[in-house]
Amino acid sequence: MAWLGFAILALVLWGITGVTQKLSTNRISSERSFLWFCWAMVALSAVVVLAARPHWGLDATVVVCSVAGGALNGLGAWTSFRALESGGKASIVISLISLFPLLTVVLAVVLLHERLTWMQLAGAVVAIAAAILLSLEPAPAKAGV
Amino acid sequence: MSEKGRSRRLPLWLFWSLVTIVMWGTWGLVSKIASDGVDAYTNQLLFTVGIAPLLVFVAWKVSRDTAGEKREWRGRGVFWAFLTGILGGVGNMAYFQAMVKGGKASVVTPVTALFPMVTVLLALVFLKERLGRLQWAGLGLAFVAIYLLNA
Repeated sequence: MAWLGFAILALVLWGITGVTQKLSTNRISSERSFLWFCWAMVALSAVVVLAARPHWGLDATVVVCSVAGGALNGLGAWTSFRALESGGKASIVISLISLFPLLTVVLAVVLLHERLTWMQLAGAVVAIAAAILLSLEPAPAKAGV
Repeated sequence: MSEKGRSRRLPLWLFWSLVTIVMWGTWGLVSKIASDGVDAYTNQLLFTVGIAPLLVFVAWKVSRDTAGEKREWRGRGVFWAFLTGILGGVGNMAYFQAMVKGGKASVVTPVTALFPMVTVLLALVFLKERLGRLQWAGLGLAFVAIYLLNA
């Protein structure tokens, strides 16, 4: 179950970014914030090159999937901004976007032939429902109430 | 299809939301395929290569439009954005490592997608934001989900 520890570490770190991102976009535009987010990724990569001795001579499929992963993740962030800027209500857009793990589950089962136990399947469904509920911010309190 | 033509059938916000689901949903799949053949550090390095063209595009856009920002706030805003990138990148490596260690894409991705539970708790404590009833319910469900996915 070593994977679960790393998954929870990712969950915690990404969760903290929800706050730091807000602290950033309260002061600068979402685009400038995204730009510096990307520069931080570049800085981190420089540290990886110097300290972690990355592996070279990789299989082409692996390289394509890794690079595509970065592009898909970055473009997804950009299209999510476009959805919000195109008049979508934040509560609806973010709830809808929270469904993305559902696609991963379907693709992994169909294309990678992953098999889930009934408990895991229930867990995946509950996780997605939880992510949607967590994205629903309460309406602001009325003035004078 | 033009955006105008598309908007007659599908609102633009819904179109971009669905594109986002496809992008991030597919990211989970390709991350698992990559993690079967590469360590988490190299995966993060290649991930950054993939994000680089977008960095160039956004840098060009930002250089053209700086309206709506207070210059004196920019330094702090940039600091928090940079910290977001560092935490996000290390989070990515943990996500890749979870898959390298045998986690299934169909399980690891729903677990990590629960990250808003940490955000709302931190916002509650440090930003003094209040949670709605549905968010509290979501928080409870998140713990149930982790239990079920770990079973």
